[in-house]
Amino acid sequence: MLGFLSARQTGLEDPLRLRRAESTRRVLGLELNKDRDVERIHGGGINTLDIEPVEGRYMLSGGSDGVIVLYDLENSSRQSYYTCKAVCSIGRDHPDVHRYSVETVQWYPHDTGMFTSSSFDKTLKVWDTNTLQTADVFNFEETVYSHHMSPVSTKHCLVAVGTRGPKVQLCDLKSGSCSHILQGHRQEILAVSWSPRHDYILATASADSRVKLWDVRRASGCLITLDQHNGKKSQAVESANTAHNGKVNGLCFTSDGLHLLTVGTDNRMRLWNSSNGENTLVNYGKVCNNSKKGLKFTVSCGCSSEFVFVPYGSTIAVYTVYSGEQITMLKGHYKTVDCCVFQSNFQELYSGSRDCNILAWVPSLYEPVPDDDETATKSQLNPAFEDAWSSSDEEG
Amino acid sequence: MQKWFSAFDDAIIQRQWRANPSRGRGGVSFTKEADPNVATGAPPRRPRVPRRACPWREPIRGRREARPGGRGAGGTPGETVRHCSAPEDPIFRFSSLHSYLFPGTIKSRDMSRKRHHLVPETFGVKRRRKRGLVESDPPRGEPGSARAAVSELMQLFPRGLFEDALPPIVLRSQVYSLVPDRTVADRQLKELQEQGEIRIVQLGFDLDAHGIIFTEDYRTRVCDCVLKACDGRPYAGAVQKFLASVLPACGDLSFQQEQMTQTFGFRDSEITHLVNAGVLTVRDAGSWWLAVPGAGRFIKYFVKGRQAVLGMVRKSKYRELLLSELLGRRAPAVVRLGLTYHVHDLIGAQLVDCISTTSGTLLRLPET
Repeated sequence: MLGFLSARQTGLEDPLRLRRAESTRRVLGLELNKDRDVERIHGGGINTLDIEPVEGRYMLSGGSDGVIVLYDLENSSRQSYYTCKAVCSIGRDHPDVHRYSVETVQWYPHDTGMFTSSSFDKTLKVWDTNTLQTADVFNFEETVYSHHMSPVSTKHCLVAVGTRGPKVQLCDLKSGSCSHILQGHRQEILAVSWSPRHDYILATASADSRVKLWDVRRASGCLITLDQHNGKKSQAVESANTAHNGKVNGLCFTSDGLHLLTVGTDNRMRLWNSSNGENTLVNYGKVCNNSKKGLKFTVSCGCSSEFVFVPYGSTIAVYTVYSGEQITMLKGHYKTVDCCVFQSNFQELYSGSRDCNILAWVPSLYEPVPDDDETATKSQLNPAFEDAWSSSDEEG
Repeated sequence: MQKWFSAFDDAIIQRQWRANPSRGRGGVSFTKEADPNVATGAPPRRPRVPRRACPWREPIRGRREARPGGRGAGGTPGETVRHCSAPEDPIFRFSSLHSYLFPGTIKSRDMSRKRHHLVPETFGVKRRRKRGLVESDPPRGEPGSARAAVSELMQLFPRGLFEDALPPIVLRSQVYSLVPDRTVADRQLKELQEQGEIRIVQLGFDLDAHGIIFTEDYRTRVCDCVLKACDGRPYAGAVQKFLASVLPACGDLSFQQEQMTQTFGFRDSEITHLVNAGVLTVRDAGSWWLAVPGAGRFIKYFVKGRQAVLGMVRKSKYRELLLSELLGRRAPAVVRLGLTYHVHDLIGAQLVDCISTTSGTLLRLPET
């Protein structure tokens, strides 16, 4: 570590290298920590979590009871023991609360003044954070499984909504109505995601085993339907292309937008090149997936080799994205894990499950290791460096 | 150093799993295994091996052509072949395999080594080792190549069972059980497929199960069997044409309508003949999978055998079995392809979790 610092100081190495190396090391050390807790408010399973992209300080959670809670993740107390408190919540007594389970919540990408939530009660609601009132409601004919708003776009305010019908609807926040519909899927849309690289590129995943990439400005249909066998591209065969051998449950772009990860109920996770739709054939092994609705998984950001955190039954499996190696399984929840989010500033992972808990996975800190273990672990670290880190405050 | 092998079975198991020595074996060291005769039970039983004289089981050499061609004539019917043969003996005597797969001492691989490998530019900090058993942690073994794995697995296929009507089929999941890194295994298999050395075939029972066959074997068997069976019938010509023109040209699993009609000049009636002969299977309107004629029997035995072996693990107390014990048990009559064959497949398909214990590898059914 000191080597990195001095190299950075003298200009021998890019400052980014130190940051990435340290982020990777911290992600590899994620574990449950007795000092970090998230207050338990939900009475039902937690379906969705989202951390705001501006500061990484506030987290929204949506539960099967229709309740939406806003947490403050920052540790402003001087102690190491910290519980993330709920700042406010939209509980069952709120007049505009969702009637059924909230499936997806998302912060407005540009500031925390607004957030959107969609639920099984066939609505998408747009909330004002400060007054906790609904600014707008979009009604649909079918239950809404998922929605997403583009994190990078400044030219449009479209929210893509995936419902039980086969059409993807795009709702415009500026005008307050559904602007257009994307047709092409045959069964319900379980996940939608905008590309973090291009303003107008959208990926949708459906229960008919297909994942389609769309350019929303184009009227004539999807750009690519992903094919797991990388067969020859020909128009007649488009209908036979499937991304998975079962329903496709979850979608996640890597943080640079160049690759797309999909998970399906055939217990596989696939990595695709998002520009040409090619299956990179990275094999992650069996990624157990029994979810009947969407599975929300996440990718780390800012590490030297990116990691993907996938809910796997009641644990969270961590894989390296580009090589498919399984790093570890994070065990801690009592029931099925439904969602997880990564806080990239502090390399922390928050996961929500059906046991109504949100767990915070925090990089483990150095502790003084007793001497007999030192010789056994063949550590290449000079013992002098071990003491250079004090374990007082993980915010440092 | 542990003395595990008090039984002959254990010695067999180490031979078999030598291909992937540290898979599922966490912190256990392997220096014992490098010594072939340390198995206390092994020497008295050794003389049994030459008596079995299975002519089709030859030491694995690097190149396929080294195998004698006499085997192609179809096993020796006079040999006593146990139906539920766990063909441990042939692998037993492959001394060439020893040194290839066991280069000296193999240090224990655990999470810390993987970390170091993964983040080379950091200052060598490893994930602190958890106390106790590192469960379900597939440590990195030495990189056995996919090709060697396929060759070795081909030895396990019971040719005599099908009277040589079928080429030896190996499953992709079995290759995963021998090659620890799946992505690397996939890439190597894809290269072999592109070079034309192997064909990958969709086995009908599971969309994910791909069978791997050497192209040579496929061609000879299909020629022999299909043409023998349909001499004089209309599809002999179509099959010949298919084998001659399409097989070498197109290495894919599936074929499309335009490809068949335009590029290779097949008429619809000829394509129907191919489907009738069993060389193609219908996938969708206008596209077909490559198939092996007569593979139906194989698939039936395979599915039944897989369920039976899984059932053996499921019925045991706590739903877990030591690998050595599983392989030492008498296989139920339903298992025709051999216990080892099925165990490789179960491990590679992750239908059982492989956990390393001090008594060897433990196979446990996953909870989910």
